[in-house]
Amino acid sequence: MELNGLSIDQAPPISAPVRFYLTAPLFAILAGFFMFFSDASTLSSRYSLDTIVITHTLTIGFLSFIMLGSLTQMLPVLAGVVIPKVDKVSKIAHILLVAGLISMIYGLHSQNTDANTLAMLLLGVGFSMIISVIVMAVIRVKNFNATVKAMSVSLFFAIFTILMGIFLLYTYIDDDIAQYRYIISNIHSVWGIFGFAGILIIGVTFQVLPMFYVAPKFKQFCKKKVVWLISFGLFLWLFTTIFYEPLSIVAKGWVSLFFWAFATTVWIKLTRRKRPISDVTVWYWRSASVLLTIGSFVWIFDEYFSHEYVVMVSVMFGGFILSIMTGMLYKIVPFLVWFHLNAMGYMTIPTMNEMIDKRLSKIQFFLFMISLVGFVLAFYIPISLQVASLSFIISMMILQYNVIAPMLIYIKIKKTKPDFDMSAFATT
Amino acid sequence: MSTIKEYLTADHARCDDLFASMEDSASRSIKDAKASYDIFASSSERHFQMEEKVMFLEFEAKTGMTQGPTAMMRQEHTQMRSLVSQMGEAIADENKDRFFGLSETLMILMQQHNMKEEQMLYTMAQQHLNADSDRVVEMMESMIVE
Repeated sequence: MELNGLSIDQAPPISAPVRFYLTAPLFAILAGFFMFFSDASTLSSRYSLDTIVITHTLTIGFLSFIMLGSLTQMLPVLAGVVIPKVDKVSKIAHILLVAGLISMIYGLHSQNTDANTLAMLLLGVGFSMIISVIVMAVIRVKNFNATVKAMSVSLFFAIFTILMGIFLLYTYIDDDIAQYRYIISNIHSVWGIFGFAGILIIGVTFQVLPMFYVAPKFKQFCKKKVVWLISFGLFLWLFTTIFYEPLSIVAKGWVSLFFWAFATTVWIKLTRRKRPISDVTVWYWRSASVLLTIGSFVWIFDEYFSHEYVVMVSVMFGGFILSIMTGMLYKIVPFLVWFHLNAMGYMTIPTMNEMIDKRLSKIQFFLFMISLVGFVLAFYIPISLQVASLSFIISMMILQYNVIAPMLIYIKIKKTKPDFDMSAFATT
Repeated sequence: MSTIKEYLTADHARCDDLFASMEDSASRSIKDAKASYDIFASSSERHFQMEEKVMFLEFEAKTGMTQGPTAMMRQEHTQMRSLVSQMGEAIADENKDRFFGLSETLMILMQQHNMKEEQMLYTMAQQHLNADSDRVVEMMESMIVE
């Protein structure tokens, strides 16, 4: 049995996850500006270049960055495996992904083939590097629990989502294959949202909710079957979409049903939690649950209205994933700062609650919620897109500050090296 | 009789519940949290000692690994003990913000620690000490906390 994960020395260095966390809000802010300068009618088409650029600034720059950063941190703890050369790989992959995403944004915006080719290369290599080392670690896991199983399944969907993404980018370089764009982009988005992000979130929730909030544990049925049932639904959806479109609604219903059940379970478990505290992370769990529920229903509903509501579906699912990721950042960043400083021997460290201003994080939450409402309203009142975008930008700026603040404490304490606390040896 | 893994895992859950009720009473009144804090602090100390004085020693004797996972777990016990005692001071000072700042930190540290033990160390201990499982559990149960 691998026991290296039990070592503090071999826990991933703080820089591995944090470099992803620090740049994630920056891309969200950038996406906010793109939305502000776009218009509601352009964004109501999922195939407009503006929509594609904004979606990927968020999905690659924010969501996948936080998911990858968290995988480097959580796998050693959850599964006791060390990710090979995690520090070096995450550093190089991060640079490649940031450069690749910027290149893609520029390439798509300006229809520049060279920039798109470069983006394909950088994103392809960047994602391959980091996902390969994570997969290499997962292969060595001997004691698979429900969360690690879900992580593995999610990685499977991640790999296909990325491969399809690279292909789709190529359709903007070589027009001959543009005819496949519609079907591939459909699979790319559904597998990305439900397979990669959705299944990863479900797997992590199995652990995190009972642990951090002392909520009732998930039933064995949930832990053992749900991920496979959803995966089955995603494959069923794939086959029906390709071979017999009218039946794809059945598969959609299947996938939605389990996500809706998951959202409801999260709500119930939070209500039954034994820990009384209700901080912004609890609010984010609640909002994620509500948004996922609405999203699941609108996704089905949308089918009967020739996909008129697809933007609303994206706002709901996007809001769900962003809620989970943001809530997680509020827990994980201050903890990592505390944990790494403590492991170095520093005793006089601010507590987690002193690292992030609670008031600011609540303001951040409300601004984010206002922005979601505004994005939905923009469907009917176009101008509300600008108001919502502004609210989103400010919300993400606050999030950026809230992620930086604990890191500044970390740097300051390491730099000033306060004396080790000797109070334990005091005679009085 | 429960196995080593089952026994200690159940004790983690018990400590989690006591932690939650301590926070519950502190959220109502920090002054009145002393009693529930004492119960949590003594229960977690008992858990640490059951491991350090019984299970870890048996495990180390059987496997010869004294500098491996048990050393790491002892180190994390030290970190948690420090937080628990600081929480006691925060209650004495009636400093609610500090108490909840510390309890939040302890919660995550404790859960990371429990996860490593339950997923790996207990499973490994159960494999190595399977034949002596009942005896080890009995020793833990009858242990007197110092």
